[in-house]
Amino acid sequence: MSYSIRFDNVSKRYRIGRGLPSLRQILGLGRAENPQSANVHWAVRDVSWQLAPGEAMAIIGPNGAGKTTTLKLLSRVTQPTSGAIDIRGRYAALIELGAGFHPDLTGRENIFLNGAILGMKRSEIRRRFDQIVDFAGIEQYLDTPVKRYSSGMTARLGFAVAAHVDPDVLLIDEVLAVGDYAFRMKCYARMNELRERGASLIFVSHNMEDVRRVCDRGLVMYAGAKAFAGTAAEAVAEYANVLRQNASRSAKEANGAGGGLAQRRMTHEARITRVDLVGEDGHTRRAVISGEKVSLVVEFECYADVEQPVFACIMHGPNGELVYDTTTRVLGLTSPSYKAGQRGCITYELTAHLLDGSYTISTDLAYADLSCYYDFVANALTFSVVGGNRAKGVANLWANVEFLPPTPVEATVIDGDSHSKENGTQILQI
Amino acid sequence: MPMDAFAFKELHLHRELLAAWTVRTVRARYKQSVLGGLWAILQPAATVAIFTVIFTLFIPIDTANVPYVLFAYSAMAPWTFLSTAITDMVDALTVNMNLVSKIYFPREVLPIAAMLARLLDFAIAASVLLIIMLFYGWPILAASWVYLPLIVTIQLALILGVGLIGAACNVFYRDVKHLFALGLQIWLYATPIVYPISVVPEHLRWLYFLNPMAGIIEAYRAVLLQQQAPASTLVIAAMIAAFMLAAGYLFFKRVEAQFADLV
Repeated sequence: MSYSIRFDNVSKRYRIGRGLPSLRQILGLGRAENPQSANVHWAVRDVSWQLAPGEAMAIIGPNGAGKTTTLKLLSRVTQPTSGAIDIRGRYAALIELGAGFHPDLTGRENIFLNGAILGMKRSEIRRRFDQIVDFAGIEQYLDTPVKRYSSGMTARLGFAVAAHVDPDVLLIDEVLAVGDYAFRMKCYARMNELRERGASLIFVSHNMEDVRRVCDRGLVMYAGAKAFAGTAAEAVAEYANVLRQNASRSAKEANGAGGGLAQRRMTHEARITRVDLVGEDGHTRRAVISGEKVSLVVEFECYADVEQPVFACIMHGPNGELVYDTTTRVLGLTSPSYKAGQRGCITYELTAHLLDGSYTISTDLAYADLSCYYDFVANALTFSVVGGNRAKGVANLWANVEFLPPTPVEATVIDGDSHSKENGTQILQI
Repeated sequence: MPMDAFAFKELHLHRELLAAWTVRTVRARYKQSVLGGLWAILQPAATVAIFTVIFTLFIPIDTANVPYVLFAYSAMAPWTFLSTAITDMVDALTVNMNLVSKIYFPREVLPIAAMLARLLDFAIAASVLLIIMLFYGWPILAASWVYLPLIVTIQLALILGVGLIGAACNVFYRDVKHLFALGLQIWLYATPIVYPISVVPEHLRWLYFLNPMAGIIEAYRAVLLQQQAPASTLVIAAMIAAFMLAAGYLFFKRVEAQFADLV
């Protein structure tokens, strides 16, 4: 397969803690440091992936996941401890706002300086100078020192220079977040333009909307390792799941240590052991097409007799709003009873009449009289909906539009239009 | 070594960056300063003024018919170049750490640009030397000046070697900066700048000329003031300078990959 970036079993180890390295360590002589030592931190560990020309991949993950280290490795700022990285062609990296600018120099001087840092010749910069200035929209401030620029202007200028190097690979950290909406849209348009010419893009962001808009592929990183790789939409959904799994793991650890987390009243006489969303083919799905039928599968184990429990399925939308909340009782269903030591499973077949965005499902298992929960799993999983029309909101109402043929306005309507006529009459009666 | 051939090629590819960074360094240094480039003259001139007062009025020194101002300034200008260039080079990586840790380019660009920016100051200071020579009616444009490019090259090699080692070490240990400041102070007095070589005891001269700057300064004086070819001590200086350059460059390249990890 032809690739523009190959990231092959890459690991990066940092020394942490106080203490200066010895001269011997600096020169790389003598014994290597023990890799298991508490003094080292693996920022990236055994990560492999490839990117084809023209592809855009988002790297997402919580702070400390290794995203920025990955970008630094790609841009050769830092060397991998082991593994190999291969980039074909010229690359430009935008890792930090204003890095590569000198605050005392003017915008004009900085365009040349920054271009030179990115490997452009003076003549190339001169040729693209007007485009860069135009893209950044800083004509009036060209001869103002960059230290007087707002953060938004600095970001615009930084992106403008990097995006006009004509890179084969463009690496972008979260520098666009400071730009306003219009500028971000302009940046995305430029990224698409570069991609159409065959450039690849690596994009690090915490803004999941932007990730879905800009990228076709997604890589989820957690604690330096590759947690998931797939389409951007799947990765966004999976990111939430990765976070949750790790949160629940640490919550369990906290509980084990007697942390006493404020829990809902849960008896844990039954425990939910698996929550999954599957498509009609029975395979796990995290990216759902608007209007598609999917099933929520909830498995649980009973440690005591469970009499006709009430099951609930709760869904929240992209902004945390409640989208759907139903229980077996609301649905008028009577659930079976389970004996201690038995395992149960319930599936909710759902039709995803939803618009594009991420949705979160919570589920619980309650006493028949609703006095307590057996178990309650908040935010059990997140999935994303794609392929809805471009309407805004959460519900896909499948608007079916019909135009009646135009007709002339009738002369019979005298006072106002026909809609207010009735109201007017009512007011008169009062 | 193929790796080093690659490194040179890469530096060559980045020559535009080297030029841009040198210009940036000069511009940034004199932005928001009233005297600007005059500082390039003021520093050696002030030191020469002090030494002139001391060594002509208080402790007269025999400079063999050369006016003391001319005698001292002809050495102080190249010395100031060496000392300011090395000082700036030692700092060049640490003050630009935000750049080093965010953007890739051959790291030696930063210290080399720091040196080139001081080379400009040296050119300004040297032009003042011409004015002083004219003032004293000293013959200028002698045939011996053909040696000047050679002497400057040897001095550049020495500065590069020492500066690259200092720049790299300062990333790991910030003590290096202070150590170099102290070292330069001692080095000044171990070099025939304020006093003539004639005051150094004959039997210690072999040791004295192991200081490459001694040979370089003597060569400048021979060429500029005596209209003579440099003495053979310049060969010793050239050998030491070449060794320093090779050692400094190899050391720098060996440890450069670790710079970004040491923020």
